[in-house]
Amino acid sequence: MLKGHLDMIVLAALAAGPAHGYAVIEAIRRKSGRAFDLPEGTIYPALHRLEQARLLASRWVNAESGRKRRIYTLTRSRHRALAERHAVWEQFSDAIGALLEGTRCKKPA
Amino acid sequence: MQETGMISAYAELLAAKLGFDRSLSQRVREEVEDHLREAAEANAGCDAREAERRAIVEFGDAHAIAAELAAASLAQETRKAGLAVILIIVGVFMAMKARIAWYAATQWALNDDVKEISAIVGSIDVYAFWVAVIVGIAGWAYISSRPIPTAFDPFRQQLRRFRLLSLAATAALVISVIGDGVLTALRLLGTDFSAGFLIPLFSMALEIGCAGFLISHIRGVVLRAACAGAQLKT
Repeated sequence: MLKGHLDMIVLAALAAGPAHGYAVIEAIRRKSGRAFDLPEGTIYPALHRLEQARLLASRWVNAESGRKRRIYTLTRSRHRALAERHAVWEQFSDAIGALLEGTRCKKPA
Repeated sequence: MQETGMISAYAELLAAKLGFDRSLSQRVREEVEDHLREAAEANAGCDAREAERRAIVEFGDAHAIAAELAAASLAQETRKAGLAVILIIVGVFMAMKARIAWYAATQWALNDDVKEISAIVGSIDVYAFWVAVIVGIAGWAYISSRPIPTAFDPFRQQLRRFRLLSLAATAALVISVIGDGVLTALRLLGTDFSAGFLIPLFSMALEIGCAGFLISHIRGVVLRAACAGAQLKT
């Protein structure tokens, strides 16, 4: 289920500013209170996909460590995409909420 | 932190699985290596070997990641190829129309003895061209209407369908260009060479160039897809 919403999660993580893959996965972990503990490598296909869809742009920079590092930035067109994914998520979340409503077990007295 | 070579080996393995696309392979190798080194540095409490091992385990299965990256890369390639088919067909159409306009402007009529064969070749040419247009548009619409795939195996079927449509469109276009070549030759034969030949010859060269470029482009995409399929099988 989480994988189906990975693109939205990545876009949301990059909303704070440009970042490289490792920083993106760290931001996802931190913001989700470590609830989303994905294999770190799964972030890269999502980043590449979003770049192809022109929702992200990327460039190489030289990190302090001296290594080459790829930095990703949100593009202008991401607003609509993020809003669309947000709406899909809310619809899904509301539907699950409605299904679960009233199913919570009452604690025995 | 002292390097043990595990990270380099993992990055090389991932890059090798993406060998069908050299620039993607190189980019992924450098990007993944930087990620893993940073992750290993974050595990500073362990010895170097354990820190690298943990970073690799947390990164995930190289084969699964490569398959996802390959699907995204090939999806982009096929979209470009779908658009290339349409643009090449438009190019061939314009060259064809320019030649016909030139014949009309110069009142360059066909010899009576080749009119019959010209009519037959002309019909084949027209039908082949429209088949190329319809199948080309179908291929482009099909591939560009699919979402960018998140896995390689379900994408194989999309690739197969697109390959079939683009090969059919290319074959029909080649038949049409051959037809144009025959028609041009019939019109030029038996006429004394003059500067007026240059327009039909140039437009034919343009058509042949367009068809050649398309064959080479589609062949490249088909070979890369086959290579990716083979590299991701193991």
